[in-house]
Amino acid sequence: MKLNIEGLLVYFPYDYIYPEQYSYMLELKRTLDAKGHGVLEMPSGTGKTISLLSLIVAYQRAFPLDVTKLIYCSRTVPEIEKVVEELRKLMEFYAKETGERNNFLALALSSRKNLCIHPEVSSLRFGKEVDGKCHSLTASYIRAQRHVNPNQPVCRFYEEFDAVGRQVPLPAGIYNLDDLKDFGRRKGWCPYYLARYAILHANIVVYSYHYLLDPKIADLVSKELAKKSVVVFDEAHNIDNVCIDSMSVNITRRTLDRCQNNVDTLQNTIQKIKETDAAKLREEYRRLVEGLKEANVARETDIYLSNPVLPDEILKEAVPGTIRTAEHFVGFLRRFLEYLKSRLRVHHVVQESAPQFLKDIFDKVCIDRKPLRFCAERLQSLLRTLEIADIADFSAVTLISNFATLVSTYSQGFTIIIEPFEDRTPTIANPVLHFSCMDPSIAIKPVFQRFQSVIITSGTLSPLDIYPRILDFRPVTMASFTMTLARTCLCPLIVGRGNDQVALSSKFETREDFAVIRNYGNLLLEMSAVVPDGIVAFFTSYVYMENIVASWYEQGILENIQRNKLIFIETQDAAETSMALEKYQEACENGRGAILLSVARGKVSEGIDFVHHFGRAVIMFGVPYVYTQSRILKARLEYLRDQFQIRENDFLTFDAMRHAAQCVGRAIRGKTDYGLMIFADKRYARADKRGKLPRWIQEHINDGSLNLTVDETVQLSKHFLRQMAQPFRQEDQLGLSLLTLEQLESEEMLQKITQIAHQT
Amino acid sequence: MLLLYFKISPDGKAKIQLQLVLHTGESTTFHFANESSALKDRDATKELLQQLLPKFKKKANKELEEKNRMLQEDPVLFQLYKDLVVSQVISAEEFWANRLGGINNTDPAVVNNKQEVGISGAFLADIRPQTDGCNGLRYNLTADIIESIFRTYPAVKQKYSENVPHNLTEKEFWTRFFQSHYFHRDRINTGTQDIFSECAKQDEKGLKSLVIQGVKNPLVDLLSLEDKTLDEGYGICTTLPSTSNANKTVKESSNSAIIKRFNHHSAMVLAAGSRKGEAPTDQASETSSTDGNSRDSDFFQPPVKKVKLQEAIEYEDLQRENRPKTVALNLKKSDRYAHGPVPLQSQHYTTSQDIINSVNYIRHEMMNYKPNLTEVLSSTAASSAIAALSPGGVLMQAGAQQAINQMVPTEVQGELKHLYVAAGELLRHFWSCFPVNTPFLEEKVMKMKSNLERFQVTKLCPFQEKIQRQYLSTNLTGHLEEMLQTAYSKFHIWQTRRMMRKT
Repeated sequence: MKLNIEGLLVYFPYDYIYPEQYSYMLELKRTLDAKGHGVLEMPSGTGKTISLLSLIVAYQRAFPLDVTKLIYCSRTVPEIEKVVEELRKLMEFYAKETGERNNFLALALSSRKNLCIHPEVSSLRFGKEVDGKCHSLTASYIRAQRHVNPNQPVCRFYEEFDAVGRQVPLPAGIYNLDDLKDFGRRKGWCPYYLARYAILHANIVVYSYHYLLDPKIADLVSKELAKKSVVVFDEAHNIDNVCIDSMSVNITRRTLDRCQNNVDTLQNTIQKIKETDAAKLREEYRRLVEGLKEANVARETDIYLSNPVLPDEILKEAVPGTIRTAEHFVGFLRRFLEYLKSRLRVHHVVQESAPQFLKDIFDKVCIDRKPLRFCAERLQSLLRTLEIADIADFSAVTLISNFATLVSTYSQGFTIIIEPFEDRTPTIANPVLHFSCMDPSIAIKPVFQRFQSVIITSGTLSPLDIYPRILDFRPVTMASFTMTLARTCLCPLIVGRGNDQVALSSKFETREDFAVIRNYGNLLLEMSAVVPDGIVAFFTSYVYMENIVASWYEQGILENIQRNKLIFIETQDAAETSMALEKYQEACENGRGAILLSVARGKVSEGIDFVHHFGRAVIMFGVPYVYTQSRILKARLEYLRDQFQIRENDFLTFDAMRHAAQCVGRAIRGKTDYGLMIFADKRYARADKRGKLPRWIQEHINDGSLNLTVDETVQLSKHFLRQMAQPFRQEDQLGLSLLTLEQLESEEMLQKITQIAHQT
Repeated sequence: MLLLYFKISPDGKAKIQLQLVLHTGESTTFHFANESSALKDRDATKELLQQLLPKFKKKANKELEEKNRMLQEDPVLFQLYKDLVVSQVISAEEFWANRLGGINNTDPAVVNNKQEVGISGAFLADIRPQTDGCNGLRYNLTADIIESIFRTYPAVKQKYSENVPHNLTEKEFWTRFFQSHYFHRDRINTGTQDIFSECAKQDEKGLKSLVIQGVKNPLVDLLSLEDKTLDEGYGICTTLPSTSNANKTVKESSNSAIIKRFNHHSAMVLAAGSRKGEAPTDQASETSSTDGNSRDSDFFQPPVKKVKLQEAIEYEDLQRENRPKTVALNLKKSDRYAHGPVPLQSQHYTTSQDIINSVNYIRHEMMNYKPNLTEVLSSTAASSAIAALSPGGVLMQAGAQQAINQMVPTEVQGELKHLYVAAGELLRHFWSCFPVNTPFLEEKVMKMKSNLERFQVTKLCPFQEKIQRQYLSTNLTGHLEEMLQTAYSKFHIWQTRRMMRKT
């Protein structure tokens, strides 16, 4: 259908529309009009992606000068591919309606592992291996050597691309990962480099968060993306953790040992080059005196996305003299390394700030702040000069130099914690230096600064106001949308008591309590008898799940559950879990029914959907608080309190509830789906917890279902499931939660739609 | 000849003998007479038999089972069996001779028409041990459970057929099974020599190869979910990869063993259920074959992926239904629906247009109908014709005869039916001998003739007497006798001809 969104003609590739989709597009349009950022929460499974794409593509067509590019970031590879498929659908609709093929270019970009077509390289299993091998075939000096030595192996796909591919732009169309590979095979071009090159002129780019948020990758891939782009972070409920992860560094003894080797290799290589090709080193020296002026010019003229690891100030300066020659720099690295080694020889936990660390390093080994700041840049230059073939081998020294630059650049937002051993095993020495970022805004700041509109969206972003605070930006729109329903297809229940009136909770004091574990088992057993097909149960942590499973096994509860359904359990091994997941789906598919025991915050809870019969009920055992005893977390909480005035408890609850909402939200996709959401912990009934659930879940919790016993839960579930099992047709939804174009345009409906968006 | 078991004479005895006991109950005793090597020969034979017996036991049992099943499923056959074999009209082997083979060869679908029953996920729970009061445990095992164990854990089955009965008795085997840590996975391997440690290893291997094989659905593949993992050393990792087995407590590793076990168990149960007709192949070969073509999964991936992606982005309710509008089934009288379809009189279906056309045609015909009154019958002739055609009329004499089911009591009817079936069977055997062109058939035809006679004497005559006693019309058995007579006369013709040829 063709929609009119405040004067903008939007093609929407379906015959019907959900009211909330219309409302969502309305808010999105206003955000784009204002050239500002937005935070939008819309329930999972209400067609968020297609609404986003429809509106932004329409906007791009209407105002090609205002919005030149859409950068769509998602979290997982399947998500990325899904987005591209939806886009394909939209474009097909455009072609059908307008009768002409438009010249849109949209593509997905992923790591080499998913795009490589080189027969040897692509057969490697791990991403890192693929990257390393690829680099050893395509690095510039390797290819230069080929002129001298024709036997030097190179990647013919890259060669072909380099020779021809850059001149010919990728023809317009929609390219998913497989399409890129096909295209690459046909032309004999490397799909990865082709994609990386093509994103510069593509209208729509779909890739993972890391390409924008991780400075190490963003600097390579996304640096030159146009300023007039709209950036969308989908599934953004965890965006702060992604930011923090990309800026944090851990250094163990093993890292240092490997680093030592790296430095030795560097030393030897320098020695060799000096004997053969001293001019090369002199050339480098000259370049370093020139300084990083070029980069500075580029950034000032607004061509580059700035890199938080490479702060603005150092671009204006030249590399300090102390580390300008290669030998001096290696000596400098050695000293730094020795210092770190001495720091790891502690016997008690040390926590300090970056300035403290800098002072100490100056006192002990006389290393200044300034050369430290240039460390990362200087190392890159050296590695280029020395023509190191396998960059992956030098990951340790790169890590150390990145650490050096970060610690000397940011006096705030980071903390250094040195732990001599793990808390659980105090007898085994395993010293780790955690350099952990506490401020997610550091990593995302360049993105907000550079791009005119950044949209943060997810099914679960409640409470909305916390995201602008922790990411430090000013949104122009913040809205949460509800799910209009013709039938209440989700049924959140809070189980607070067992049948014997024992309070159910996963809180620390009662965690080992026999009665609680038994009642939890009882709940699962009873539910397994009434719920058809699949049940997914989430535990608060892996250790907790292991313990509960063991005691359920001893008590024979699991065996009784097996009478009703097969049991599959997430393990810490991803391959094993994948297998279990597939078998779980198979068991749901063939009607046997199964239970999946899984962990909140685990891979399953983050990336796998349990739609329709794959998840008719989700049971959340306990409140998934993060492990609060970790020092890193404590430091972060402190920081949040001091900098953003967010109380510790508020943040912890927010964090726990967003994960709980993520878990239960996995079961619902669309209005034809239905599912039970069982919160098995009495603490969920409290207003501070309940109030942090997304609005679309919250509004279906009625006061009667706040503190149920197991029996009551079973009764309510039975009733709910019986109702849901009745046939549900399109006509039942039409006019209420599903609209035709005429219905949408009626005055009354437009009135209603304004109420769907809940502004904060 | 199916061997059930064999016995040997005790070592001290003077006669060195070996007795074979067959399934039919007959037994044959061999006496080893060669003075010098009698004992050695006997032992060698024993060895050979011991090796062969388990192999053939399966087959023998299968055949017996098959016969049993056929008899149970087919009451007519069972009655026939009773009539012919139990009353010793013909021998059991003769009875089965062409029956079993025939069915096996012609129609395997009939044999396998029973639906495969899945395995309960909780079959191990059903053998919950009960204490017997004196420091012991009792496990209840049924044939079903054993079957489930075998189907789920092929490795155990293999062990069973290797060890039972010559190394262990059945009971010992299961006792060991329940004592093994294989059964109690939460107990950590104590290092005792038990025959199941190999099974555990095999399971482990199977699980591993399943894992290596990877998953077909890319949407659940957790390994390739993440696009760009952080390099080692970056990120705030709370659990460091240093948690090796060394610093895991016993409790933890037993916990993870339990979890592994449940995953494996569920996977095996699922697999056992979906391994349909084909015999459960032993796991080693299955996994090795899948190992071999694990690269194939790459080859097949794109279509699966495409389909799954399409599924994942589809919103069925947002789309207008493109299918032709159908009318929902609305049952007014559900019992009529439950009784099943009524067979239509003719296979010829007409479209509504045809019906309308024909109605129009008939209407048209009726309008133009003009009775031709000069050529009709006179009313007397018509009424006499009707009278003649009514029940009791001249032309309906035959119809006045009452049907047999109203004349004869039901039990006699039943008996008659059985007689017909039995006679039919015997006659089938008899007639199948013609043309008699082999000595075997000659022998058989003689035998069948005597069988028929015996049948007439032992079955038919008592029945005739019985119905005479009940004053029922004796010609009930007339047809049967006629059939027998035809057979006899054929036999006589054949015999005389044979005599003539001989003379």
